[in-house]
Amino acid sequence: MKLFDPHIHMTSRTTDDYEAMAKAGIRAIIEPAFWLGQPRTHVGTFDDYFQSLVGWERFRASQFGITHYCTIGLNPKEANNPAVADGVIELMAHYLGKDGVVGVGEIGFDDQTAAEEKYFAAQLELARKLDLPVLVHTPHRDKKRGTERSLALVKEQRFPEERVLIDHNNEETLPLVLATGCWAGHSIYPNTKMDEPRMAALVKQYGAARIIVNSAADWGVSDPLKVPKVAAAMRDAGISESDVETIVWQNPIAFFGQTGRIDARELGDPASFDQGELFEGNSVLRGQAPRRA
Amino acid sequence: MPPAARSWLDGIALADKVLALAAFSGAARAVGKAPIAVPERGAWGTDEVVRAALLVRAYPRITPAELWAHGDNRERQAVLKALPLLPEPAAFVELAIEACRTNVLTVFEAIACENPYPAAHFPELHFNQLALKAAFNGIVLARIVGLAARRNTELARMAADYAAERRAAGRPVPDDLGLLMQGQP
Repeated sequence: MKLFDPHIHMTSRTTDDYEAMAKAGIRAIIEPAFWLGQPRTHVGTFDDYFQSLVGWERFRASQFGITHYCTIGLNPKEANNPAVADGVIELMAHYLGKDGVVGVGEIGFDDQTAAEEKYFAAQLELARKLDLPVLVHTPHRDKKRGTERSLALVKEQRFPEERVLIDHNNEETLPLVLATGCWAGHSIYPNTKMDEPRMAALVKQYGAARIIVNSAADWGVSDPLKVPKVAAAMRDAGISESDVETIVWQNPIAFFGQTGRIDARELGDPASFDQGELFEGNSVLRGQAPRRA
Repeated sequence: MPPAARSWLDGIALADKVLALAAFSGAARAVGKAPIAVPERGAWGTDEVVRAALLVRAYPRITPAELWAHGDNRERQAVLKALPLLPEPAAFVELAIEACRTNVLTVFEAIACENPYPAAHFPELHFNQLALKAAFNGIVLARIVGLAARRNTELARMAADYAAERRAAGRPVPDDLGLLMQGQP
């Protein structure tokens, strides 16, 4: 079975991760633009980051047979930084039309400030104008209230709910999301957020419709193989093969495919790649013989 | 421009900068990349034709500098090909010189080949560097527009030194290197 990890920050990961992910059956990924672990102090840093997401990182993934997409956005944490926020919003218009960009995100709430709400709403408007889906981060602290506020803002703005993916859900927030037309993401993490047995239990209770799982692996202690692991846990829990496939493959394609920028037929074929290729003169190899498939 | 590509471009509300920028980036998905022969300008991809036309129509609300700064290779090629079509093209000479420093051959070719811009606007030093870089990269030198009129003694010396360096290393000298030397046909 092919797997899709629709939320993983590969910029922070190694080529070993790419190899292990491909071996475990991960065929495609989405890298949402997010916080990089330390504050950025210039708009230009975001510019270079966005360039990397649509260019170099996409190339790195392709060298291991993985198709890389991304979302572009001003994350909620840095929405609180007036030195960069407006500049990043202006910059986004240059990137949202590019190949491989399948949505606006991560947007949403972190501390649930007025600034976060302002840029959340502004980015919903950008997404509406360009007919893009949005990926909404929900906060670690005061998560239930943050989720409620996110759903309320989507409703207030009359943004089409079928183009909203509310992420990092847990037992308390999932029913709130499913009561709307929004999709529900779950980040399977070593300790926080959600784990494999709990996820399997949620699927048994709520079914597979509009349910998405991801690893959200990044620069911290996290696991880029959580999607294959949660697929195995769901099977062990007696969830049908077709429901598992819906969650780990069809749902992310259905949601982000609303852009028309994901070629499901192409993803259905085994990946072809050529490690002899260069990106602007640069290779991922360090003297190894190039592999091809 | 093929009718389907033209009607796609006509349908973009270029007065809205967000929509115009997204259309510029997304042009290849909308119109494809099939080659089109552009009179005296070589073969362009359909996406390049449409992007260049979009820039010409949306200028100066949208500038070559910003499209270059945020563009991928294909978008950058279209910007370079459009430069001679813009009003007051001399304003973009710094951008065009910077473009020549690319490692990407197709981007270099977009400014160096079948493009009247460098011969019309480059100072001698930069025109000479462009011509020599073309020779280094095995580009057919006849593709440099206006070369004959821009030949100069310094370029002839650079070409002669390059030929000597190649011969000393036992490597072949490009057949058409003489095009860089004054007095040669």
